[in-house]
Amino acid sequence: MTELTEAPFGTSFARPRIGFARPALHVWALTLAVVWLVPLFLLVITPMKTTPEYQGASQWALPHHPLEIFHNLKAAWTTAGLGPGFVVSLSYGLVGAALAILCGSLGAYAITRLPVRLGFLWFILVFSGTIFPFQMYLIPLFKMYTDTGLYDTWLGMALFYTAIAIPFCLFVLRGFFATIPGEVQDAARLDGAGDFRIYWRIFLPLARGPIAVLFLFQFTWIWNDLLFGLVLSTSDGIRPIMPSLLGMQGIYASTGPPILLAGALIGSLPTLLRFLFLGRYLLRGLTLTAGKV
Amino acid sequence: MSTHPSAEPVRRGGGLRRPLRPNAESGAVSGPLTTRLVACLYLAPMLALVGVFLLYPAADTVWTSLTDSNGLGHAKFIGLDNYVNLVKDSAFMTSFVNTLYWVGGVLVLQVGLGLLMALVLSSTALGRILKGVFYLPATISAAATGVIWFFIFSPDQGVLNSALRLVGLGGLTHTWLTADPPLNSWAMIVAFTWQGLGPTMILFLVGLQSIPRDPIEAALVDGATGFRLFWHITLPLLRPMTVVVVGISLINSFKVFDLIWAMTQGGPYRSSETLAVTMYRESFVSFHVGYGAAVAVLLTLIVFVLSIFYLRAMFRRVDNY
Repeated sequence: MTELTEAPFGTSFARPRIGFARPALHVWALTLAVVWLVPLFLLVITPMKTTPEYQGASQWALPHHPLEIFHNLKAAWTTAGLGPGFVVSLSYGLVGAALAILCGSLGAYAITRLPVRLGFLWFILVFSGTIFPFQMYLIPLFKMYTDTGLYDTWLGMALFYTAIAIPFCLFVLRGFFATIPGEVQDAARLDGAGDFRIYWRIFLPLARGPIAVLFLFQFTWIWNDLLFGLVLSTSDGIRPIMPSLLGMQGIYASTGPPILLAGALIGSLPTLLRFLFLGRYLLRGLTLTAGKV
Repeated sequence: MSTHPSAEPVRRGGGLRRPLRPNAESGAVSGPLTTRLVACLYLAPMLALVGVFLLYPAADTVWTSLTDSNGLGHAKFIGLDNYVNLVKDSAFMTSFVNTLYWVGGVLVLQVGLGLLMALVLSSTALGRILKGVFYLPATISAAATGVIWFFIFSPDQGVLNSALRLVGLGGLTHTWLTADPPLNSWAMIVAFTWQGLGPTMILFLVGLQSIPRDPIEAALVDGATGFRLFWHITLPLLRPMTVVVVGISLINSFKVFDLIWAMTQGGPYRSSETLAVTMYRESFVSFHVGYGAAVAVLLTLIVFVLSIFYLRAMFRRVDNY
């Protein structure tokens, strides 16, 4: 029904008469859009104020010295300790998404193309990893991590983020690999290519579209994660950015709102920029998944 | 079937289907033992990681929910006592009721408003810009959203209260997040809607786009317009997408945690907790680990029932793409 290859953001939805075309509704939509921008406006202007300036006037007031933003960003990055969280979350996102795609694609290839017994069972087993609420994992993971020394380590966080990203990668890539004609594989085999070579040189390159979408998608998920960072880590340099941001909240919500919102801005920047520059891919990911929003 | 080029969607019927393999029928499944063992190596990393970090923990949570575990030392098996105690626990019942508020609020605000906006935007040239605007909040994390809206709802300086005073509705000002329930939950549902409206709306737009033209044209010829066209023609044709959107929204609203943890942490006095927050608080703040596990299992059961409907619709979609 929905096609992966379509990029709804680039296409026009203007199809007169199917929707509601009353002018009053258009005015209302425009008004709502302005309201929708208000919180983002605050996210940008508040870090441009000093703390006394923020506390002395309405939140609406425009900043007197917009360059104050660099001071506040620096305070959030260093004094409040968001810098290490930013860097480490970047590493979790890049490593976790890449490894998950690797593991998921190997599995998808085996299930669709290799003589594996019970292929469909393995698929369902791994895919069931997407339907549990995250609360089902927390307690045993915490116990396991404290018992094995994985608690509050980079390795522990990276392994978990990889694992949780795998089921969805498998789901998408299995679907994609199944559409590659068997002739492709047969022809390569006649030319003397082995199974791994066919996977690495033919299947992976053919899937680079879905893989790019998956990468952006899983990176974002890992970047935005709060819950597992909260439970499985505690120290600076290991703890991801979102739990670090909420860690700031306790102190700065009262003493330095502009610094806290500068922190929120730092935490939003990668995903916001990605949307502004790679919006089409993001939307493709959305229609592809229609889930995991 | 396999003669389709890969870019061309392979159309198959609904339901779960095993992908057709070129060697499936020829009996290659029972190939030489070494080939089969090597094939298992491809599956091994995926199965090991998912097994250890997801499936084992999920199973262990079910077991833990039947014990009096406090996270330390030996846990005793106590059968269904945790579940019985849940029903008697007023904090849990508050949490459960709040969760239902979330589900209802998200259905009305996010799904209802999302559909309305999709219909409005699909008929205006402004649609392209506006849908970008509505989608923007979805690109930032729930934790950051919580931080922003925490200030918007601030009683003294918050934008919301000052805007209300500005337009002469000073009587409607509230302390919002620290107000009496369920107002504090509703405030957070608004913030959640701000974030979730865009994706919902886009999915409906995609659904509208794939509606066949003929029934619409026929209805137009018959003189159906506006609301009647929507109610009798568009809405029924949009049904497959509606099922998916409602499914996703229901499931997500049952599981919401990040936003609440960022805005109220379930307070004041546990009055704005939802099931996900209660689970976290019982397990990692109060160390009633067995009890927290029971909340997790209950949440899972609810989500599973909802997932059955959603997954059926979703598999149908993916098999068709």
